[in-house]
Amino acid sequence: MKVTLARHGGLAAAVHLRRPPTVVDTDALPESAAAELAELVAAASTGAAGHEGPGPGRARDAMSYTVTVEEGGRSTELTQSDTTMSPEFAALLSWLEKHSAQQ
Amino acid sequence: MTRTRHVNCIIPPHLLDKLLHSDDSDVRKAALDTLLTTTRLRGERSVRATFAGAAAAGNGRRTVFDCRQGRFLPFAVLVRTEEGAESGDSSVNRAFDGLGTTRDFYQKVFQRNSLDGLGMRLDGYVHFGVGYNNAFWDGRQMVFGDGDGRMFTDFTASIDVIAHELTHGVTEFTAGLAYHHQSGALNESISDVFGTLVKQWSANETAETADWLIGADVFTPGIEADALRSLKAPGTAYDSPLLGKDPQPDHMSRFVNLPNTEAGDYGGVHINSGIPNKAFYLTAVGIGGFAWQAPGLIWYESLKASSMETKFQDFADTTYRKAEELFGAGSAEQLAVLAAWQGVGIQISGVPAGVARARSLAASRDGGVGRDDGLAALSKQVGALSAQLRELNEDLTALKAMR
Repeated sequence: MKVTLARHGGLAAAVHLRRPPTVVDTDALPESAAAELAELVAAASTGAAGHEGPGPGRARDAMSYTVTVEEGGRSTELTQSDTTMSPEFAALLSWLEKHSAQQ
Repeated sequence: MTRTRHVNCIIPPHLLDKLLHSDDSDVRKAALDTLLTTTRLRGERSVRATFAGAAAAGNGRRTVFDCRQGRFLPFAVLVRTEEGAESGDSSVNRAFDGLGTTRDFYQKVFQRNSLDGLGMRLDGYVHFGVGYNNAFWDGRQMVFGDGDGRMFTDFTASIDVIAHELTHGVTEFTAGLAYHHQSGALNESISDVFGTLVKQWSANETAETADWLIGADVFTPGIEADALRSLKAPGTAYDSPLLGKDPQPDHMSRFVNLPNTEAGDYGGVHINSGIPNKAFYLTAVGIGGFAWQAPGLIWYESLKASSMETKFQDFADTTYRKAEELFGAGSAEQLAVLAAWQGVGIQISGVPAGVARARSLAASRDGGVGRDDGLAALSKQVGALSAQLRELNEDLTALKAMR
């Protein structure tokens, strides 16, 4: 399973436009970490965001995140934002951010 | 008929009194109507003043909360209020002070009572998320990240960043500029303009001495970047292997077309804001002196006169009109506005390019703001005020007709 995190928007949106996404391949992870990530992805996929619909709503300069999960030839995208994300998505995002910081 | 009512509205009290005792019943009725109208208006003014007083009770009272690295604001803890002592946490104090400086700027410079003009409370949330590289306005309150420590540092560090975010609130309560494409880029530009004006005001800097940078203090020392954006020279705030090059355009010929998606920054709202940003900078240096005075006032009045779908051209035209209303037709301020928009590739509607160039050159020869046209400007202002008075009277007439 390959998990990609792309960050959008924010006060430094112009910087994020140019920066490469964070990519995690579970094949390169220890077994326990891979299992943990798979669980977080599964939970985030079912956790509903309190989204107001497409667009930024009333928030300005909030960031949004697109997590793309590729597995077995299938690709799934999840996009949520700072102001509307579900706790499950927040847990997945935290894991990916922590992993990215350690690289 | 209309004319009679029009005159009634501005009739002097002593004459009104005389008319009330007229033998003609129609005249007595008209005088009575007028008296009732003026009394009602006086009453409305008095009631409105009471409301303003009640709403102003908040007067932009500040409260700072600590998210303790969490991402959900309801779980944040209260750490500082207007009554409380300073915190031991410098992020808390910087956020508190930044909210106060921005509130004071709007109050003292534009007589605006907090973001909504009605004393709205100012709530700030610090330490949002873990190493969060951003600060944002959530539609009601503002939120600061600590930065990851590698690329970005604490986002409470730049007063212009705090003022930028709070100005999103002001825009929401005034023009409500839609957050996509040109109106969105204008929304971002307004936040940069007033963000930097708050910084210049608090440091008592002139347009000539200010750095015109947004977020000069949010990068870590190791990052080769001056700031997030430059109003003076959009496209030059940073150029490094890690960040790439600042992509902001400074002219319509370099406008960047991006899709209205999250990945496309809603049509490049943080990208194309460089164009109106540069127009404000050019206006400010064209007029000279403190940028929050004439230039800031023209922009603030134009913001209040704008609406959701206002685009660059609309806004440019509005600034030109407002400069005329405030400082007179052909005033140095109005010519500076004209030349500034021309400098970013936007011609003011109804002003042929050749005329605009000639006027701009004439203004440049005068060396910025000249007061030679002071009398003409004053006369124009009196004219504008009279026109407003006429409009008010017409509105009153219409109101009376509806009764």
